[in-house]
Amino acid sequence: MGFKKLLTKKIEFSASHRYWNPGWSEEKNVSVFGKSAGPYGHGHNYSLEVTVEGEVDAQTGMIINLYELKSVMNDVLSDFDHKHLNDDNPHFKDLVPTTENIARVLWDLLEEKLLTNPKCSLYRVRLYETNDLYVDYWRK
Amino acid sequence: MSLTRTYRFSAGHRLYIKELSEQENFKIFDACSNPNGHGHDYSVQVKVAGDIDPETGMIISLQELDGTVHIVIDELDHRRLDIEVPYFEENQPTGENIAKYMWERIRVNLGDKLIHLKLSETSNSYFEYYEEDDYPYEH
Repeated sequence: MGFKKLLTKKIEFSASHRYWNPGWSEEKNVSVFGKSAGPYGHGHNYSLEVTVEGEVDAQTGMIINLYELKSVMNDVLSDFDHKHLNDDNPHFKDLVPTTENIARVLWDLLEEKLLTNPKCSLYRVRLYETNDLYVDYWRK
Repeated sequence: MSLTRTYRFSAGHRLYIKELSEQENFKIFDACSNPNGHGHDYSVQVKVAGDIDPETGMIISLQELDGTVHIVIDELDHRRLDIEVPYFEENQPTGENIAKYMWERIRVNLGDKLIHLKLSETSNSYFEYYEEDDYPYEH
């Protein structure tokens, strides 16, 4: 029987966002998104947990070097940390920056950078918006 | 993709079997059979799965999720479960049974979107309830 080997690293970042669908009236935006539709945005302290899957290298004893993973995550997060996602991050020009969409965008960016490491693959992206709300994104 | 939200409530309960004496109940349930009951601050993590709605960017509206979960929590919060909630007059108000009860009540409104429920009785004990075949993670 095989064993699953997973490694997870967490990094926190802070960003602001606004929930707004430009195709809708102001009334509809407010009725669907409530306070999150406020014109100037609001912010959260997000926490990103990236889980990778792979074999443990016999020489290093690692699935991936944590310094490498940390550097990949920080590279990706440089466009998110201390930014207004709607205004500063091109991925959310036409995409509502919900926790769900942020997790999906982060998956794509992380996966692309991790492709350079053939020994591990992305298993799960878990994004906490607050302590009480998180989203998991994965692809089979 | 899934979204998990945490809710909290506080409730009292006593674990005991009516037909048994207090000593026999104490043997089975220990301090949990204390005749006057005791209580916990529960937290419950409700996990829903689905695709992102392209217009809202969401799997589920948080208003809908909160509304549905609060219907159940309002029945339990600040209640003595085995006396004030009919289901627990017939079923022991253990973490296992509370988790199952919440699962069934939430499923009425959310259907298959609800994929996992985790009930914490204290920071040291929690109970999970889900349909194995529908759970997206490999075990």
